[in-house]
Amino acid sequence: MNAHPVIEVEGLCKRFRTRRGPVEAVAGIDFRVQPGEFVGYAGPNGAGKSTTVKMMSGILLPSAGRVAVCGMVPYRERKRLARRMGVVFGQRTQLWWDLPLEESFELVGHLYRIPPAERAARLARLEEVLALGPLLAVPVRSLSLGQRMRAELAAAVLPAPEVLFLDEPTIGLDVEAKAAVRDFLRELNRDQGTTVILTTHDLDDITRLCSRLMIIDHGRLIYDGTVEALRTAYGTTRVLVVDLAEDEPVQVQGAVLARAEGRRRWLEFARDEVSAAELIARLLAGHEVADLTLEEPDIEDIVRRIYRGEAPP
Amino acid sequence: MAEHAGVYLRLAAASVRATARRPAYLVVRFLSAGMIVVIEVAGVVLMLDRFGSIGGWRPAEVVVLFGLAFTAQGLALMFGDTLEADKVSELVRRGTFDQVLTRPTSPLGWVVASYVDTRFVGRMLAGAVTVAWAADRAGVAWTPGRAGLAALAVACAATIIFGVLLAAAGFTFVTVQGSEAVNVLIYGGQYLASYPMQIYGSALRFVFVWVIPIGLAIYVPALGVLGRQGPAGLPGWLAWLSAPVAGAFAALGGLAWRAGIRHYVGTGS
Repeated sequence: MNAHPVIEVEGLCKRFRTRRGPVEAVAGIDFRVQPGEFVGYAGPNGAGKSTTVKMMSGILLPSAGRVAVCGMVPYRERKRLARRMGVVFGQRTQLWWDLPLEESFELVGHLYRIPPAERAARLARLEEVLALGPLLAVPVRSLSLGQRMRAELAAAVLPAPEVLFLDEPTIGLDVEAKAAVRDFLRELNRDQGTTVILTTHDLDDITRLCSRLMIIDHGRLIYDGTVEALRTAYGTTRVLVVDLAEDEPVQVQGAVLARAEGRRRWLEFARDEVSAAELIARLLAGHEVADLTLEEPDIEDIVRRIYRGEAPP
Repeated sequence: MAEHAGVYLRLAAASVRATARRPAYLVVRFLSAGMIVVIEVAGVVLMLDRFGSIGGWRPAEVVVLFGLAFTAQGLALMFGDTLEADKVSELVRRGTFDQVLTRPTSPLGWVVASYVDTRFVGRMLAGAVTVAWAADRAGVAWTPGRAGLAALAVACAATIIFGVLLAAAGFTFVTVQGSEAVNVLIYGGQYLASYPMQIYGSALRFVFVWVIPIGLAIYVPALGVLGRQGPAGLPGWLAWLSAPVAGAFAALGGLAWRAGIRHYVGTGS
């Protein structure tokens, strides 16, 4: 296994001079990404997400600190890094708008100097996985958003990049198209070992795809760990949803009645005060229960609370 | 850059193919670009007719100068129109330029090749026809040497105009930067509320697109084409000085472009 991290970021800062004075968009962040990781990068608008990605992809130079991608300094070795890196911005296109889709793939092949046989082989596989066959002769501007996003992904991974930067790849897509994009990314990461950095507002993308989550706010990294660990650390409240056999008042020690609807009761309890098993035992001792489910804290809810400063990092 | 010339040729071919997919549109743009030349030449001819001659130059001879300038402008704008301030700020505003920076190519090569504007072929052809027509009226006997001088004049003037456009584009990166930084923070760089100020007014534009190219690259070679004596003491070899002058303009333009990109990327601060 390659022991070198794909991305190394140390004390990274970016200051912009604006009319209202200097603004620190990225205020000193550190992290490393190992080969094959699938990292979600989240944060509210203006938190510094896209500025970080721009520094990693060679579009912006850091004001201070160090960044290395594939062992290269992004801006200084911009062209060399570009051959080993893929970028997809959800709301912009990397394809040739007025030309049939297949011409975009051909141009990408030449730009990244992919041998024709190799290109044909990779493309055949991508066409199958992303169902691109019927779209090849269609001008890009005539593709639907979902079709276009599949095409964008194919064009971005055609050069077989080691790192893939994705910015809101599922924005505006319907449920089916979202699922297609997620399935593709999951397989790409698993089968090719491509390292993926996913910037998104859609926390569903993150919980479904990412092994690791980084949250940035006000230019600082306020969380870096697994999605599960975030749930355990911040999501202290769990909810036991109970369907009673009869409509009756419920009182269980250690839980608070959050909501009642017909014979259904929502009982909130703190993870560190009582276990679910204990609570269920107490409940069953006093009531007849038809059914019950346990709801883990909603990751979206936790992140929203972190953004609002309610859950201290 | 030379070793990958093929890539840029492919990009340019793709941009031409993209326009060619709408042939009616292409023809209209092509014709309108040519028509503008016809109208402007007619204006010059009518104006000159009133004077009879300017400083000993007959109207047809002056029109040769203008025709050479039109041809050079067409050539320069075919590749350089995309470097105009409003187009560069549009590239930045839409985030297209950021994407260009993630490609394994030279940003300038990419931008120029991807936005070749064939409409200006119309201006080039109309300019060339104007030169042929006016030279005929002026009684020019074409020789290979004279044709070479005319081609030199066009190539050098086009290079000068391209260099100026390049410098202006470099400057646009600086003017667009301030507002971009704000928007990067607020909207992730997707919207740019304020366009950069118009960096060169029409008077300045007139100087750069007409006066300087004609004065530095067209006037002296045109003397040779027309078989005229220039002002006393102007040696004939001066015509060949157009090439290094044009080269200097292109080099300065290239430096300004690079400085602009360095500023955009953030090394300039």
